[in-house]
Amino acid sequence: MNKKQLFDLLCSGKMPADRTLFRPILMHFAARFGGTTYGKFASDYKTLVRCNLEAMEHFDLDLVGLISDPYRETSAFGAKVRFPDEAVPICEEIIVNTIDDVHNLKRPDVYKAARTSDRIKGAELFQKELKGEVPVIGWIEGPLAEACDLAGLSSMLMNLMADPDFCNFLMDKCVVTTKDFAKAQIDAGCDVIGMGDAICSQIDAATYDTYVRNRHKEIVDYIHEIGGKVKLHICGNITHLLPSLAFVKPDILDIDYQVDPQEAYEIMGPDVIRCGNISPLLIDAKDADSIFNASKQLVQNELGRKFILSGGCEITVNTKHENLMAMRKASIF
Amino acid sequence: MEELLEKIAHCVEYGKINLASPYPPDMKGQEGADELTKKAIESGVNPDDVLKKGLVVGMQKIGVKFRENKVFVPQVLMSAKAMSTAMVHLKPFFQSGDVKRKGVFVIGTVSGDLHDIGKNLVAMMVEGSGFEVVDLGTDVNSVKFIEAVKNHPGCFVGLSALLTTTMVNMEKIVSDIKQAVPGTKVLIGGAPVNNEFCEKINADFYSSDPQGAVEFLNKEVA
Repeated sequence: MNKKQLFDLLCSGKMPADRTLFRPILMHFAARFGGTTYGKFASDYKTLVRCNLEAMEHFDLDLVGLISDPYRETSAFGAKVRFPDEAVPICEEIIVNTIDDVHNLKRPDVYKAARTSDRIKGAELFQKELKGEVPVIGWIEGPLAEACDLAGLSSMLMNLMADPDFCNFLMDKCVVTTKDFAKAQIDAGCDVIGMGDAICSQIDAATYDTYVRNRHKEIVDYIHEIGGKVKLHICGNITHLLPSLAFVKPDILDIDYQVDPQEAYEIMGPDVIRCGNISPLLIDAKDADSIFNASKQLVQNELGRKFILSGGCEITVNTKHENLMAMRKASIF
Repeated sequence: MEELLEKIAHCVEYGKINLASPYPPDMKGQEGADELTKKAIESGVNPDDVLKKGLVVGMQKIGVKFRENKVFVPQVLMSAKAMSTAMVHLKPFFQSGDVKRKGVFVIGTVSGDLHDIGKNLVAMMVEGSGFEVVDLGTDVNSVKFIEAVKNHPGCFVGLSALLTTTMVNMEKIVSDIKQAVPGTKVLIGGAPVNNEFCEKINADFYSSDPQGAVEFLNKEVA
């Protein structure tokens, strides 16, 4: 049975009891593992795909992904992005400062813009290499995260309080591009679209419901319509948002280490796959035995439920390889 | 006077910046921290009281609410904006020495990390508790931190990181600062770090929320 078939079994609730799927979020770690820089990893799809494939082979990962950094769509909207060797890509400008700037934002052609096109080509290359036997996770920025990337984090968050028209207008434009980019990645062969909207953990539930919930739902429904599944990633503590996220109902919900998996299960319901949630700090700092024991405990707690073992968020660049191996080992009985 | 100071504290706590601000909706059309602080100064209220019995009280209240998850980042940003708008009226009194700072706090987001939200929150809360804040911005390396520490003898230092990718840079910066200026107290914070990491890299204090940093600093200067 290949990994795609295993994933399909997980989605349909028929996962064999002797295995829990394992998929940590790898970016800088994958680049280092593949012997290249983060800058090259984020700016060249061939490098990104190669590094992910090498990590998949070595750690026996059950899914692969196209995640790299938050600025693919921001770049497509016109912002300049540069790529330091060993740091997250840097967006060099805030391109939305006024409501006129929002008016002037053009809907990007995701096939023509360099950075979105690069990720689409990555999806195609994954398909070519894996022949549909391993699930591929594409990636989009959620509407609030993208609005923050375009307008500046602090400004956007204050505008949520003081300028609803600005926020709604900007986020509506972000949703359009998010859907365009998701469709392009699905058409290129992605099985799942990861939607990163990390900033949502920093807003209260009422604000989430006012601005984001229905937009998330619209994107999730759209991706379902075009044949994909959705993995929603909001790092940090999202316990206060769980009831709203149950309404959004992604296929997979990433849960960071601050979230109680049991509480997430009770609120999200048995149909939603939860993915997490060992602390990346723990995975970085502890020895392999500790990581094995923590992972084993988590996997056993989740037996019979829809669950993917992962870190709560991205694996740190210096994480010891044996610690990821320990997670893999713990997830196979 | 007390009533005016209470109103100022209330405006800061609820993020009412000025008359024109539509936030919070239930205070629309009312004067904010800006106008009330100006009014207090003009009517002869001691500027030190405006700071300590008005602005600081409001920031403390929002800091505690934030720690208790009763409010989130957007609300704290509005409070900080209200406070910083009011602080403009106190600036001449800081310069003349009529209002004294508790100390200097140098803060920056560590090299490789461009996120400023956590840093800004801490900077605003610390400033709101009566410290002078030297904000070095984002992507700050050891050299810049050390230069600032040398320029402000006895200062405290805050390091922020949002990413697991960049928190690893904290270790070198803490080490470099302590080697260059022994005895400097370094605080760390940010989504991926914790107390264990703080101990591992030999920093002096970790807090999961800005109010914790404020309380640590207040104890240090008490």
